[in-house]
Amino acid sequence: MTFFFQNVVNALQWGSFYALIALGYSMVYGVLLLFNFAHGDIFMVGAYIGFFVVSGLLAVASMSSLLLPNWLLLVLGIIFAMFLTSFVGMLVERVGYRPLRAAPRASAAITGLMIGIILETGNLALLGARRVSFPSLIATTTYNIGGVSITNKKITIVLVSLLLMLVLHQFVQRTKWGMAMRATAFDFSVVPLMGVSINTIAALTFGLGSALAAAAGILFSVAYPVLDPYMGITIGWKAFVAAILGGRGSILGAALAGFLMGFIEIFVVVIPNPFPTMFPFSLFPAPYLFPSTLRDLVAFSIILLILTFKPHGLFGEAHTARLRL
Amino acid sequence: MSLLRVENVTHYFGGLRAVHNYNLRVEPGQIRGLIGPNGAGKTTIFNLITGIYTPTEGEIWLEDSSIVGLRPYEIASSGLGRTFQNLRLWRHMTVLEHVKMAHYSKISYGLIGAFFGTPKRHREEAEIEEKANSLLELVEVRPLADQIVTNLPYGALRRVEMARALATEPKVLFLDEPTAGMNPEELTRMMDIIRRVHGELGLAIFLIEHRMKVVMDLCNTIQTLVFGEVIAEGTPEETQNNPRVIEAYLGEEVVT
Amino acid sequence: MGVRTGVRSGELSTGRNRLGQLLNRIWAPFSQVPLLGWLLGALIAVALEQLLGTYLARILGMIKIPALFGFAIVLKDLALIPSAILYVLLIYVLPVAVIARLSASLANRLAAKLLSFPMWVSVIVHLGLLYAVLGLWAGVSDYRTLVARLTLIGIMLTLSLNVVNGYMGEFSCSHPGFMALGAYGASVFTMVAFVDDRAFGPPLLPPALGPFMFPTALIVGGATAALGATLVAIPSFRTRGDYLAIISLAFTFIVKSFIENLEVVGGPRGLGSQPDWANLPTVFVWTVLCLWIINNFVRSTLGKALNAVRDEEMAANAMTVNTRRTKMIAFLFAAFWAGVAGGLFAHVLRYINPGTFGLQKLAEVLAMVYFGGLNSVAGPIVGAVSFNLLGEALRPLEVYKWIIIPLLLIVVMIFRPTGLIAFREFDVKNLLEPKQKPEEEVEHVAAAR
Ligand SMILES: Nc1ncnc2c1ncn2[C@@H]1O[C@H](COP(=O)(O)OP(=O)(O)OP(=O)(O)O)[C@@H](O)[C@H]1O
Ligand SMILES: [Mg+2]
Repeated sequence: MTFFFQNVVNALQWGSFYALIALGYSMVYGVLLLFNFAHGDIFMVGAYIGFFVVSGLLAVASMSSLLLPNWLLLVLGIIFAMFLTSFVGMLVERVGYRPLRAAPRASAAITGLMIGIILETGNLALLGARRVSFPSLIATTTYNIGGVSITNKKITIVLVSLLLMLVLHQFVQRTKWGMAMRATAFDFSVVPLMGVSINTIAALTFGLGSALAAAAGILFSVAYPVLDPYMGITIGWKAFVAAILGGRGSILGAALAGFLMGFIEIFVVVIPNPFPTMFPFSLFPAPYLFPSTLRDLVAFSIILLILTFKPHGLFGEAHTARLRL
Repeated sequence: MSLLRVENVTHYFGGLRAVHNYNLRVEPGQIRGLIGPNGAGKTTIFNLITGIYTPTEGEIWLEDSSIVGLRPYEIASSGLGRTFQNLRLWRHMTVLEHVKMAHYSKISYGLIGAFFGTPKRHREEAEIEEKANSLLELVEVRPLADQIVTNLPYGALRRVEMARALATEPKVLFLDEPTAGMNPEELTRMMDIIRRVHGELGLAIFLIEHRMKVVMDLCNTIQTLVFGEVIAEGTPEETQNNPRVIEAYLGEEVVT
Repeated sequence: MGVRTGVRSGELSTGRNRLGQLLNRIWAPFSQVPLLGWLLGALIAVALEQLLGTYLARILGMIKIPALFGFAIVLKDLALIPSAILYVLLIYVLPVAVIARLSASLANRLAAKLLSFPMWVSVIVHLGLLYAVLGLWAGVSDYRTLVARLTLIGIMLTLSLNVVNGYMGEFSCSHPGFMALGAYGASVFTMVAFVDDRAFGPPLLPPALGPFMFPTALIVGGATAALGATLVAIPSFRTRGDYLAIISLAFTFIVKSFIENLEVVGGPRGLGSQPDWANLPTVFVWTVLCLWIINNFVRSTLGKALNAVRDEEMAANAMTVNTRRTKMIAFLFAAFWAGVAGGLFAHVLRYINPGTFGLQKLAEVLAMVYFGGLNSVAGPIVGAVSFNLLGEALRPLEVYKWIIIPLLLIVVMIFRPTGLIAFREFDVKNLLEPKQKPEEEVEHVAAAR
């Protein structure tokens, strides 16, 4: 049982990353009916911006011999990085998507992919191939709760993510801007009626999504401090799959599906082997049914099955929009 | 033996009963009309018969065989051709390609022919093209044969749809508001064409219309549908004079 | 402000007009050169390069013949720009232009003569010439041969992806997966049957038989891919658009992960030492075959059913088109050719690993298709050739290459969202026809005026 809860904690941590990123995909989809394929790389950019912000703050703090507590640095780092990265997101929208708003959605998808490659390569060109390592702001403390060991980092990650999602929810539900976003998601044509231009809404949505991705980037770096230009690819695509799984454009769906993704990934490899002495799927007799190398294979097969039987995702409705040439 | 028999068909969309206990018999050579206010369920009946929806209850027979549960393309190839209320044309294809496409089920050259361009394929494509051209002639769009459909005027689009439906070689032709949105000139032309198609090809026609003039002029028998139920069935004169029809539907139009 | 922009756009348009006029004037003497004439010119040019290329390169201060029209050399050493330009002018542009112009009337007569026989005669002659040009050009170095083979494989991949993404309008991301299945399927076949290697032990059949059985191996690869494609085709019956895109993406991940876990074929370490049977003529023949069959297919009514399903599926169904069969055919057909391309790819590089067939490959094939143009056959050729050549030519720029190419593609997407040559039919007869009417006829027309 403790083993189970141990994995729940891990799944929650990964789920937080996926959920934060998936939200960005889903919001953009809701408003513009397209997927921002550069989003995974915005996650990466967010992590790097976070790295520079935090390093900068550390340097300033040590020079001016200010004694800022580390948690404050982390909070400041997250806020600054979210703010700065949101501009990256808006820039991506302005340059890559706005000129293509009337074009087929597949063309916009290609543009997104290409912007992603440019972000990766741009990073590589600017910073070189060496990996950078995120300053460790939090010393790891491990709590033992009923045999389940939980680190303070994991708690921080999950709590901060949940907090951000709550803030997003309030924003979307309560503010004028959030209402305008929801209205756009509901019907493209009402936006001008509300006195807000679609361009503003699009920029806002990209900004918000990118900010969340940046937060995910920093939280990710807290847990896994080595950064490289390609760190956003796999996690980005998986979060994208989660966004689809949740139902396109559904914010709640994206968050839940993000966590579901985390759970599937973590739990796939700890399914007990009903025949411990035999080896159905691994080369050697093993306590678990699937060796960890089969993680992606099994996880994606499950998703394939879910989508085959629930073609509109878990929380989505049948959209009429589709790829138009 | 009727050509087409629909017996006690009922259809629900979730909780909404769109069609209730619907019956129809189409005899060879008839032109039948279906009228009713917006949202009465007319298009739904077309969709049920042509297999786009499967009826919740009821039976549909084409000649001797039941067609309930068949896929739409099977129903279409067994002899029910149709047009759509909101044109559903293929926006990157030419007029001629539209009509050729509707011969799909009769193509026998198969994948081998398609892949390797066998003589049989060329022969067959040429035959299809000839047939298609004569249908385009019939509906008077032959000069537009090589145009992409998005370049065509509205009236011509409706006629292209009709030629395309005829190319499936239907026994019963279903026309869903064939004159919707047409100006008087296009309207007369369309009615002439419907008459000519009926005369030359000798098929049965079942049409939905909003314009009384069209149904009155063309149809032998008319059904009036309100809230998914047939409230009256009879000749144009009977329908025109039926108080229930007047109340439910014709009211304003008769007065004006 | 308004006036100013007006003036400026006026200037711009006259500028564009002037450029257009200039181009027209340059093009005018060549407007009557048929394809045959161009091929003759190109043949002379590459033959000239074989004979004189090395001397000319030395004279112009270059160590050896510039591999790809001087791009790579220029990017390494900017001082060599004039030499590279001169080389390209003297070896390629000038001979091609002169020969094409001079031989125009002869070539026209020849082309007309050829067309008086059955079509295939003319096609074979043109293809033979094309192969001669390609072979001579590639014969200069191993590097060129490699680039030529990979480019041809790129054409096959692009053509086949276009069947699903262009002609049928889905956004399929499963091509790397199909390619991987084909690559591994074909490799396992050749290696089990004909190669003595560590992975599969001694050959089952005499290796001398191998090269003759290579087509079988490729077909096995294609069939493996087609079999895998049913996994994507069946969900496509019920769902389209984004969800199918995800399903196909998941498929690519699954295939990659599956192979990584398949120890018999080397798992993540990959599979090497495939026999060297995918030489230039073999790849050329398969590419031509692929192009011919795909072009035949998409021009038949059965093939155009793909367009009908794309543009209005319900209408297709109501017009007797068996939409499920159509989708199945499209996926299996595309997968088959992706598999064949994968098989060739494996035997060109002679080493593959699962990582080769990941997201990078996906971005590459998608880029080639959308750059070249959807729903066309000429588009993918242009897309694959320019993408591959550009990729090689910009190699000296190292990482910056992957900024320039994506930027280029974004620009194309903004100005031509469906690609450079989209929605165009590829009419072979039109291509091979003489570009000048026989003399008497021209006179007739003149007289009539
Ligand atoms: N796919 C569907 N799902 C749910 N409800 C539907 C669907 N199609 C039609 N309806 C509902 O069924 C009822 C009948 O619709 P239908 O389109 O058959 O009407 P109609 O008689 O053709 O009207 P009109 O004259 O406007 O064409 C309407 O209330 C409509 O909203
Ligand atoms: Mg209707």
